[in-house]
Amino acid sequence: MSDKKEEGTVEEPLDLIRLSLDERIFVKMRQDRELKGKLHAYDQHLNMILSDVEETIKVVEKDEETDEEIVKSIKRNIKMLFIRGDGVILINF
Amino acid sequence: MLFYSFYKTLVGKEITVELKNDLSITGLLQSVDQFLNIKLKDIKINEEQKYPYMLSVRNCFIRGSVVRYVHLPAEDVDVETLQDHSRLEAREQKKMQQMQQQQQQQSSK
Amino acid sequence: MSFGSAGLGDEVDKKLIVVLRDGRKYIGIMRTYDQFANIILQDTIERAYCGEYYSDKSLGVFFIRGDNVVILGEIDTEKESLEKKLIKVSWDEIQRMLQIEKQKREEEEQLKKRVMAESGLTFDSILNLDDF
Repeated sequence: MSDKKEEGTVEEPLDLIRLSLDERIFVKMRQDRELKGKLHAYDQHLNMILSDVEETIKVVEKDEETDEEIVKSIKRNIKMLFIRGDGVILINF
Repeated sequence: MLFYSFYKTLVGKEITVELKNDLSITGLLQSVDQFLNIKLKDIKINEEQKYPYMLSVRNCFIRGSVVRYVHLPAEDVDVETLQDHSRLEAREQKKMQQMQQQQQQQSSK
Repeated sequence: MSFGSAGLGDEVDKKLIVVLRDGRKYIGIMRTYDQFANIILQDTIERAYCGEYYSDKSLGVFFIRGDNVVILGEIDTEKESLEKKLIKVSWDEIQRMLQIEKQKREEEEQLKKRVMAESGLTFDSILNLDDF
């Protein structure tokens, strides 16, 4: 009975992260970085391991037609990634 | 301790450590400690010309707190085990908290 | 078991380059360390880099507090010969170059910051690691 309670309910913020193991999550990081990937591991510092990660970075670039500076998104894919918790701002499920 | 134990299973494997200042270092994992400081062997630097001071370095120690990401060799990562260990550690963490709370209550009485 | 600092034992009495969070680089012989990665460097020089130029300044014995360390790199004499391609200039000269470079980078960051703010985005500087 007590085990069931432990697995199913959310008493504190980290419980929700536990329930997202093996699910895809969205992570907003410092330095304007965003990650989407499947959560496989985490600890109390919010260090994490995600797989099949898509990272989106925002960069400022000159638009070639208008010659104006615009914000562009750059994406890259990473198979398996460890993320250090101190860069995490928020997690979306 | 979860990630410390995890990294120990990757000793000898090639990883890429991406630092918060954008420097990316690829090398063989030589050792790791509980702060997740990392030692790499036979390193290669991405965009070498931007980091001339790394040219003469073969082995290096990276302080854990400056790491942003570590790119891992997917074939050497057992995700099932990781998930189990994460749940286990969460449970142990809670037990520790409860014990500490009880101790505090007792000592305040 | 290597308790802390991932076993720096192999690096004792070796020539290291130490990169600090503010971007400074020191080269010297590491004589001792502890679990916080605090280290003692002997015969230390500060080396400043700018493009293909560099310059050295002799500074003697240093205690470096572990928090400020980004990387400790063992200088490999074989690979060091590669570095000889860089051109040595005077300390004043390299400082002038760095000042110009810094101004340019700051201007670029200012522009970036403005454009990002106009799009409703925040911007974190990566000019140094002092935030972390």
